[in-house]
Amino acid sequence: MKRRSIGALALAAALLVSAVAASAGSSKPDRQSATKIVVWLQNDAESGWKQVVTSTNDAFRAKHGDVEVDVQYQTWGDHLTKLDAALAGGTAPDVVEFGNTETTRYMASKLLQDLTTQTKSFPNSSTWLRALKESCTYNGRLYCVPYYAGARAVIYRKDQYKAAGVKGTPKSLAEFQAAGLKLMKKYGKQRNYSALYFPGRYVWASMPFVYDYGGKIAEKKGGRWQGTLDSPKAVQGLTKLKQIVTSLSRANKTGDEANPQQSLVFSKGRVGSFIGNGWEWPYALDKKVGNPSLAKSMGAYTMPSHTKGKSMPAFLGGSDVAVPVTSKNKSLAYDWIRIFTSTSSMRQLATIGKQIPNTTSLLSVNAKNPQLAPFANASKSSFFVPTAPNWVKVENAKVLQNMLSSIFTGRATVKSAAKRASDQITRILNQPTT
Amino acid sequence: MSTGPGGEAGFPAVTAAAAGSDIRRRRRPLGERVFRVASPYLLLAPAALVIGAVLGYPVYLLTKLSFQQYGLAELVTKKGTWIGVDNYTRIFQDEQFWAVVVRTIVFTAVCVGLTMVFGTLIALLLARLGRFMRLLLTSGLVLVWATPVVVAVNIFRWMVDYEFGVLNWTLTKLHIGDFLNKDWFADPTTGFAVITALIVWGAIPFVAITVYAGLSQVPAELVEAAEIDGARRWQVFKDITFPLLLPIFVILTSLSIIWDFQVFTQVWLLRDGEPEEDYWLMSVYSFVEAFRLGEYGFGAAIAVVMVCFMFVATFVYLRQMIRIGDTR
Repeated sequence: MKRRSIGALALAAALLVSAVAASAGSSKPDRQSATKIVVWLQNDAESGWKQVVTSTNDAFRAKHGDVEVDVQYQTWGDHLTKLDAALAGGTAPDVVEFGNTETTRYMASKLLQDLTTQTKSFPNSSTWLRALKESCTYNGRLYCVPYYAGARAVIYRKDQYKAAGVKGTPKSLAEFQAAGLKLMKKYGKQRNYSALYFPGRYVWASMPFVYDYGGKIAEKKGGRWQGTLDSPKAVQGLTKLKQIVTSLSRANKTGDEANPQQSLVFSKGRVGSFIGNGWEWPYALDKKVGNPSLAKSMGAYTMPSHTKGKSMPAFLGGSDVAVPVTSKNKSLAYDWIRIFTSTSSMRQLATIGKQIPNTTSLLSVNAKNPQLAPFANASKSSFFVPTAPNWVKVENAKVLQNMLSSIFTGRATVKSAAKRASDQITRILNQPTT
Repeated sequence: MSTGPGGEAGFPAVTAAAAGSDIRRRRRPLGERVFRVASPYLLLAPAALVIGAVLGYPVYLLTKLSFQQYGLAELVTKKGTWIGVDNYTRIFQDEQFWAVVVRTIVFTAVCVGLTMVFGTLIALLLARLGRFMRLLLTSGLVLVWATPVVVAVNIFRWMVDYEFGVLNWTLTKLHIGDFLNKDWFADPTTGFAVITALIVWGAIPFVAITVYAGLSQVPAELVEAAEIDGARRWQVFKDITFPLLLPIFVILTSLSIIWDFQVFTQVWLLRDGEPEEDYWLMSVYSFVEAFRLGEYGFGAAIAVVMVCFMFVATFVYLRQMIRIGDTR
């Protein structure tokens, strides 16, 4: 009897432990000291343009002597979850990078330092890219500094296109598909070959199809947001996308573009093309992880629209850097940002990272370079996500990823998957902003 | 009857002491009597205090949080708004919640069932093995048990990998079918099969070793007697071994239910930190709502409901456990 009571006690304790475990958050970063600033950047910087970060830190140390810079690279999947926990615990970094779709909620919650009065002290502030500056502005106040922009284009193997009998680059979606089918005919016997490597949860290469056919992710009607992925036009775009992906891609339909890095899969040779950012081109040629011998046979072109001669609207991605209100080293943080977004850093970002720098004064750097032109062109006709403060929750809940993976695996029809995603988007966007 | 292996010696002493105190009670001074009554509680107090501090307080906070509107802004100001039972009403009106509950219950039942069956079978095997093989098998079990969950998940993830997985390769080489580029997670049924395999694999050692320890305490004479009476292996297990080890099975099942009901890491990591809704168990649902959507109050309410479910599920076993104690 007594031992059983002990057993019961142990059982009750185990239950309580599980309750606590269910409420526990993620780990917190190190405590900062006065002689160190902590910077969170996304890992794109690490694989794409690490030199920019290194030279910024060198310049910063030269100026501030004893102050260390601790750059911690984050992944897109969970950096906001970590940030929220760090903000709550008072251990947030001094500088943090946000995707340009993620800022609104943090600006609305007043978690970012208001930079309006010192806008002029940041380099090139009068020539910042308008789209990025808008993503840093809330109710007319400035809360972050534009960092870079990027639009995706098709990166392809010129040699394979030639060998398969594709002349020039496709000028319409139909030609794009026809070219892909030729590649599949020529190389498709290799089991892992994809004419277009397209992992199922690749949101930012999928949504262009929706916008190309005249659809939208969501619209604001009479003060309320309404998910519109189930509109006939959007469904038409998604259906076309499904057709192209099923016929041209053998990538994992429940995987994403970062696991494994698609440019590395490309560098292994069994891929005819993929839709990628500028920085993924040099990454494919990386001596350690990529394949430098592909240098001569790689090319890029802007993804064509279903309307011949036009290009498909590209998602204008990008990043901003901000200082959380909790930072204890704000003036040091501003100074680091000033160096990081200086003209010389931005020039490096354009040449090494192949991204679009934050200022229009440097756009010529990209336009003159034939390797960068397709990406710069893609950004000319672009779309952006709904500007609702809650949009980032749609991203965090992976609504679009889940929709795409159920479409491509055939778990749901295009229509029902789009309807479900649309309803979720409507629900999330109309929740009170928190 | 013995309630489990070992430890029987402690009982007579305790009983004798209790009886002794009965006889002498009237002669003892009041202070000592109070001390005698209070001493068990005094002895329990340190443990109770620690449990209260490290478990009770967080649970209190969790419960408080579940009655509040608590989002990102509140997270920084550290002040929530009291909204009564709104979070709970929202849970019970959420269709998705019920789908998640059913999925979690089925998943738990399958995992616990398989764990208990395979664990017991391996324990029975251990009892019949020679010394060397038993040592080998036990070491294997302990190694499995010692493998950290995250490491185990990564191993399984690689085994079922879409492109390079050894499972797809082996199944194809064995001509069981064409498994090249088979995506195990495209269909939630096969996806959950992988997750279940991982969970059961990790849970078997504890069950097997504990049941084996129990088996070594089953009196050999009883089994022998039954065999002389003509009982078959299965009948010996059903009528002798199983009833004798019932308390052990009850506690193992209860613990397994608790563990499997709150599986999180395995699902989360196998799905790259963004599980599709078809893979949402209660713990995942709570985490997504709280930490991905920044609805900490709502997430806390789900966690509280989850704990209540577990209490209900294990209450039956707790009762039975105490009843076994009363009757025997």
